[in-house]
Amino acid sequence: MRMSDYIEQSFSNLARRKLRTFLTTFGVVIGIGALVSMFAFGQGVQKNMTDKFKELELFNCVNVFPPTMQEQSQPKPALSPSAALRVNSVEGTKEEPQQAPVLDDDLIQRIGKIEGVESAFAEIRFPAMVRLREKERFSLVQVLPADVCQSGLSKLLAAGEPYASDDANSLIISDSLLHGMKIKDAKTVIGEQVELSTLRFDPNLLSPAAIASIMRGDEIPFSRESYTFTIVGVAERMGFGGSMPVRSDVFIPPGPSEKMKKISLTSIWDFFSAAAGPGQAKGYSMVTVKLSSAKYVQPVKQQIEDWGFKTFALIDGLKEIKRAFIFMDMFLFAVAMIAITVASLGIINTMVMSILERYKEIGIMKAVGAGDRDVKKIFFFESGVIGFLGGIFGLALGWAVGVVINQVANYFLAKQGVPYTDYFSFPWWLCLGAVAFSIVVSLAAGIYPTLRAARVDPVVALRHD
Amino acid sequence: MNCASFVQTEGLTKVYSSGKIQLCALKNVNLTLAEGKFLGVTGPSGSGKSTLVNLLGGLDTPSSGRIKVQGRDICELNKEELAIYRRYQVGMIFQSFNLIPSYTALENVAFPLLFAGVAKRERNQRAAEMLTRVGLYPRKDHRPAELSGGEQQRAAIARALVNQPKILLADEPTGNLDSITAKEIVKTLADLNRNQGVTVIMISHEELLLQEFAHEVIRLRDGEIVDREKLR
Repeated sequence: MRMSDYIEQSFSNLARRKLRTFLTTFGVVIGIGALVSMFAFGQGVQKNMTDKFKELELFNCVNVFPPTMQEQSQPKPALSPSAALRVNSVEGTKEEPQQAPVLDDDLIQRIGKIEGVESAFAEIRFPAMVRLREKERFSLVQVLPADVCQSGLSKLLAAGEPYASDDANSLIISDSLLHGMKIKDAKTVIGEQVELSTLRFDPNLLSPAAIASIMRGDEIPFSRESYTFTIVGVAERMGFGGSMPVRSDVFIPPGPSEKMKKISLTSIWDFFSAAAGPGQAKGYSMVTVKLSSAKYVQPVKQQIEDWGFKTFALIDGLKEIKRAFIFMDMFLFAVAMIAITVASLGIINTMVMSILERYKEIGIMKAVGAGDRDVKKIFFFESGVIGFLGGIFGLALGWAVGVVINQVANYFLAKQGVPYTDYFSFPWWLCLGAVAFSIVVSLAAGIYPTLRAARVDPVVALRHD
Repeated sequence: MNCASFVQTEGLTKVYSSGKIQLCALKNVNLTLAEGKFLGVTGPSGSGKSTLVNLLGGLDTPSSGRIKVQGRDICELNKEELAIYRRYQVGMIFQSFNLIPSYTALENVAFPLLFAGVAKRERNQRAAEMLTRVGLYPRKDHRPAELSGGEQQRAAIARALVNQPKILLADEPTGNLDSITAKEIVKTLADLNRNQGVTVIMISHEELLLQEFAHEVIRLRDGEIVDREKLR
């Protein structure tokens, strides 16, 4: 028999039982649809994350920590403020410049001279209340040098421009924060005044008398300070935030930041740093180093580590991230496989039914010269055609599900100022793989019925009514 | 090859087993048939007629003995070789016609050509020629349910002959037909035998038809040949 005849025979035989073929194929469509949409979602998440990291140039970043900071950032935050103070002061007395190098402006300048380093800046984030047009929202403020703002953040601006200098009393605000304040048109806020109110931890309020006052609920150990800025730009999404994917909604230059009284949130220890006594080396808790290319990550890391600091680069964690994605894909695959297994049982059922119904026909086939191989191939192709149709329409279903979910998700997220994002990705290998997988699964499901068809005794079959 | 032994069986025996019960359908049947002959096979129900035709047609394999067709022992063929034998060497027609109900007459006749790897256009052309030969071309697009018994059997004859086999095996082809149609069908087989040299082996209960058209008649009882009659 010719290949074209097998295909034609398969379609015409399946067309004889349209409803049953439709229902069986529909089972496969559901299974493949689930598989495709889940894989596409997994791929979409993966693609979005890596693309965003690339876009934000996070793979070109190295974070630098003081050596003690790494130890301190181990999970021991259960200390009471007074206990923490004790620890800090004890460490402070032991500290010697040679043994515990400090992340200060001198170091930042030294780092800036290393080959491949585009810029280095201290990672300073602090909480603040943002007041604009009589509305107030809590937000994280990030200090970003003007040059980094111009090179990294300018690509992500929905309106306005980056601030011109490190001393400008200007800031960039995110579109999502504006959405939170019910401000739809980003352009209208450019040039407007915004008030940032910072909280500052006041260690003087930790005296036994003050603690007693706190316990009574009369007073909290924070003071509030307000500063006015001019909005110069609106970032359309999460801005350049160094290599830590923490969302910041407000970016200010270092100049005004230095004059602000605030709590830095880079580390829990910063919370208490205000208690450090005179002469105690403080320094920054983290410095972000932006490189011109990912190829400089290792040499720059090495150089900084040689100076006695700890470093972290997101690119080092990429393998871990990829491994996590593999686990996610496997989980989604397992869920989709349940649907595929049910669909396979449907195929087996349909094919066995078909053989029982066409028992005499198989006898006729053999009487007129069909070999066992021909009979096997005829039924095998029928299984394959179910798989092919199921794969094609399943792919279409998976795509349609992805489009619908994407539209619905974006509709709701747009209200919160999140820009349009494709949460589903349909790479070519997923499309081809889904159809191929559907055919393979269907053929596997067709093995038993096919063998059964080939075993039909023509003498018995021809007597069959 | 000796024309006198175009089809030959030697000690042909078929035993069916069902659990501990064994049923001997054919016992030591020795038969020789020359090329181009019309052999009638008759006998009561259960005498082994259909078993003999199934064995000669390669649908079944004997328990012992040999079947030689054109000098080749078909008992030594494997399953695929037997399929090729059925495809090209023999054509079979049955009492219940055994046409595929969902196919038209033309598609039914063209069906064996599918397994011979013939292209669709040629399949249809050759099937149309065969239907013309049996006088059924005008009914080519009708399905079996829309044809009379005689027409169905003629379509079955056309299907049996479409691969131009040398032997035509007919298992009670007139069993479901009225006497006039039955005679027409047997006459069609006799014409094919006479005009195209096709060797015909036909099972029938109707002695008169066999007497009129067959060259030789054998009578079976309990799986054994009990009588041979040369008619012409």
